[in-house]
Amino acid sequence: MSVATAGGLTLAGRDRRFGLLLTAPGLLALILVITFPLFFTLFTSVHDYTLLTPNYDTFVGLENYQEALDEEYLPDSLWVTTKFVLASVVIEFIIGFAVALSLHATRRFQSIYYLILLAPLLINPVVVGLLWRMLLHSELGIVNYAIGLVGISPVSWLGDADVAFWTVVLTDIWHQVSFMAILLVAGLAALPREPYEAARMDGASTISCFIHITLPLMRPVIAVAILLRLIFAIKTFDIVFIMTKGGPGTATDLISYYIYRAAFFGLDIGRASAMAAGLLVIILALTVYLYRYMNSLK
Amino acid sequence: MANIVLEGVTKVYGQDILAVDNIDLDIREGEFMVLLGPSGCGKSTTLRMIAGLEEVTEGNLKINGEVVNDVDPADRDLAVVFQNYALYPHMTVERNLAFGLKLRKTPREVIDRRIRDTTAMLGIDDLLDRRPSELSGGQQQRVALGRALVRDPEAFLLDEPLSNLDAKLRAAMRTELIKIHRMLGKTVVHVTHDQVEAMTMGERICIMREGRIIQVGPPLEVYRHPADSFVAGFLASPPMNLLKARLAGHLGVDEVGLSAVNLPIPRHRQAPLRRHAGSEVVVGIRPEEVHTEEPADGSHHRVDVTVVAVEVLGPEVILVADLGDGQEISVRQGSTFQAVAGARIPLYIDLEQLHFFEADSGLAILHGGASGPVRPDLGSYLKEGAPGSEAAL
Repeated sequence: MSVATAGGLTLAGRDRRFGLLLTAPGLLALILVITFPLFFTLFTSVHDYTLLTPNYDTFVGLENYQEALDEEYLPDSLWVTTKFVLASVVIEFIIGFAVALSLHATRRFQSIYYLILLAPLLINPVVVGLLWRMLLHSELGIVNYAIGLVGISPVSWLGDADVAFWTVVLTDIWHQVSFMAILLVAGLAALPREPYEAARMDGASTISCFIHITLPLMRPVIAVAILLRLIFAIKTFDIVFIMTKGGPGTATDLISYYIYRAAFFGLDIGRASAMAAGLLVIILALTVYLYRYMNSLK
Repeated sequence: MANIVLEGVTKVYGQDILAVDNIDLDIREGEFMVLLGPSGCGKSTTLRMIAGLEEVTEGNLKINGEVVNDVDPADRDLAVVFQNYALYPHMTVERNLAFGLKLRKTPREVIDRRIRDTTAMLGIDDLLDRRPSELSGGQQQRVALGRALVRDPEAFLLDEPLSNLDAKLRAAMRTELIKIHRMLGKTVVHVTHDQVEAMTMGERICIMREGRIIQVGPPLEVYRHPADSFVAGFLASPPMNLLKARLAGHLGVDEVGLSAVNLPIPRHRQAPLRRHAGSEVVVGIRPEEVHTEEPADGSHHRVDVTVVAVEVLGPEVILVADLGDGQEISVRQGSTFQAVAGARIPLYIDLEQLHFFEADSGLAILHGGASGPVRPDLGSYLKEGAPGSEAAL
């Protein structure tokens, strides 16, 4: 039962108003930095808006979307992005799970291992890109120097189209694998101990314990870890921007960098906005799926 | 069926945490042995060492005469029922039951037959397609039991399997476990902290405390002849009243003083107490050996007490009374007994039934009833007390 007060508001109503008052500054900031650019992008995506002739008057409907879809190099960029996302997430998962299992089994110096593992994750992606670009520099880099010591001829890590793609993938893995490992090790730590003891009594080997108990019990954590990394990997921009600028050729031309080029080199904001909106839909779909999946676990 | 023998078994965790301290125990073939004790007494650790889930730090663990200290749990042919059931949460009941058999490469038709027989026996044959999360606590308990039964092992190790059930279900499962044991005749080691479970289920009870075995024996024997005041105070509900007292009188043992009251000691019971004349002792009185009305035979002594509380349990009433010195005594009465707190009432204590324990070590000196002095075979640890003085107070 709510009781009306002098101001004509119920107790709950006053609570709500006070809450709104407290959150207002934060909400305002969020609207300015997230919601506004989002809607502005959607707005420009349906207008003929180029930086050469800025003009909001020409509403063109879905023309920008059509143009984007017709572009010659878009499928290429989508294919590179798909390869990049699959390669990095799959390898990160395999390495991450192996690291998580070993960390889980380790008792001594655990916090030191955590610290080492977390270090790359704490570095800004731009710094990661710069760091590896210097380490992998074909003439001045320490990597080529080191492999030269054992007689291997220098590798053009970022100059060769085939090598550059994997260089970017491996840099991303170096940066992000600990995220996967930390999520998975937390999952392992939360597993009940009893089924493992029951399995030992039942005669299960370490491998059958892993297959029949660990993997099925870890399924929710694995799904969440992979989905999160998928979402992040699709948006990857910084490393490519710093290390390869999408090159050589289009070898590392991820979709986010492709959109960036359309906007700031092609100066065609309308078309770039249309593509960004498309990317948003893909990420949104994955996020909704992730959200639903996590809800279904409750 | 398995004969399980522990010889000087010790378990030390880490550097110096002594969980089980040099215990000897012979669990006979087909026996229902209950390991009883308060939490932290080492009973679960003992069970887990038998199972092979914990390593034996020192001593020998033998199954059917063979030392199995280094034998893998799976090769000991024992089945454990865990306190939290430890069902595989992602598997259906059927797969839970079949898992162990499949790992042992049992033929499909044998697995099917055993699952059918076991689930029919436990009344869970309609749950085969469900997952553990879709079962009630009682059903999960049955599945856990079924998983042990279906393997047809040499012995069953039950680690507080009933403690997560409500009182009614627990009583039903107790009866069921006894029936199953009688039917299969397999060795059972049952760990519990519940003395009712121990008394009702065990063929023998092994009472543990602080990593040591205090006493091993059939339930009634342990109940009647507790090896020390700890056992006396642990069994039955309410347990034996343990009262601080001092032996006194002519030759020091004519009567026992409870500071506010003195209880005479019948002449024929005095001899075993002589060694302790004048010393502090603990007097044990079972709640059922005290009466509120004077019984016909003459071995009862009247004591006037103040009523502290009356706990109505339905079929019986527990009267808690103050002896006058702050020491309280529980008395079991029929359901018709009534009294108000603060009232002065007489109690009649059966002097033949008094138990005597050493004050410092807690060791039994004299048991109540016809049994008389402590029998030396009751607890291997029972030792001769220090020679007492004959001096009277």
